Amino acid sequence: MSATPMPVDRLERLAGQTTVTAWLRAYDAHWEVSQTDDQVRSKLEVLSRFCLACGKEPDELVAWLFRETPEGPRIRLKRRRRVMALIDEFERENGGRPAGNVVRSFLIHNGVALSAAPLR
Amino acid sequence: MEFKQVVGRRRSIRYYLPFRPVEREKVQIVLEAARLSSRAVNADFVQAIVVDRDHLSEEDRESLKTPTTTAQLDLAPVWIFWLIDPTAPRIGQTSLKQLVDVGALTPSHGWSHAYVDNVVWPQVLQPILADPGTAMLVAAVEAGLAINQALLAAVDEGLGTQLTALNAANAKRILGIPDHLVPIWIQLLGYPAEDPEAGGQRPRSPFEQIYFEGRYGHPFERDEMVVERLRADGMIMSEAPYPWRKEEVRALSRMFGLPE
Repeated sequence: MSATPMPVDRLERLAGQTTVTAWLRAYDAHWEVSQTDDQVRSKLEVLSRFCLACGKEPDELVAWLFRETPEGPRIRLKRRRRVMALIDEFERENGGRPAGNVVRSFLIHNGVALSAAPLR
Repeated sequence: MEFKQVVGRRRSIRYYLPFRPVEREKVQIVLEAARLSSRAVNADFVQAIVVDRDHLSEEDRESLKTPTTTAQLDLAPVWIFWLIDPTAPRIGQTSLKQLVDVGALTPSHGWSHAYVDNVVWPQVLQPILADPGTAMLVAAVEAGLAINQALLAAVDEGLGTQLTALNAANAKRILGIPDHLVPIWIQLLGYPAEDPEAGGQRPRSPFEQIYFEGRYGHPFERDEMVVERLRADGMIMSEAPYPWRKEEVRALSRMFGLPE
């Protein structure tokens, strides 16, 4: 999705983050698939670019979207809206809807409920 | 459609054909069904506003969403905002006497104008109206009866339908809803983009775990012959998930550009 590939060590660091591991595992389990290395690498490239654009690494981003309460973690709705807008902007400049949906998928499988405006 | 099939085929549809409008007469039929539901005190516990999705600005549409009500709002062309009225029993003294006059509430069951005036109004309805919690509880149940008929009517008309949460404060502001009414659900209407069976009937608790006979905890024994008859009549259908459901959802997600 980009002309300049991300350095391999950058992608490896990303893949080691707890939320990234959780995402990839949950995605495979939900859709009953086993993503190929190429598919995973492609998604990590996109996620990495988004992280650079928003200035937060994956674990940091997910943590920033939640707050702890006595009843358990709650999504910070204003921050969620900001991230949704950032994703919309990101996909306009970085590969369109498929790229945006990689980021959305990452957040969804980490418990951040969101979607995209359907193409119609 | 036969009644049992309507009950059996109802699903919460979450993918709609966004370009296919809903005929106005079908919307009216949905409302007519709600209007005829069973209701306490013969009062209007529920009112509705029909809104064409495309007549709302993008900003207003977004402001009506909650974290879990997202793309389906953009897909369904018609939204019915259901509003509940906890003050509806205020007309009870009049409406109950009307029911006496038309022969619905009868002297053989103890009903008279005097009973309404001297007992039901001061001892039942006024206390309900004076207790907001009880009034809301009563209104919610009565509204549910009407809304369910609206859902079934939509299915009977070949539509997809679903109840979805909303941002009530923004709904009141955008639609000019009076203060005494509470927006409770949006009922979406549209033609399904997914299979109308939406992957099968949803899992339910075992029949005998929730229905009892004689006393609580003593199961109402389920007759398998009846179950078989309901299967044949289309009320009990195969339970979700159908083997191809995930593939269907992936295909729909890709068609509409939604995340997986």
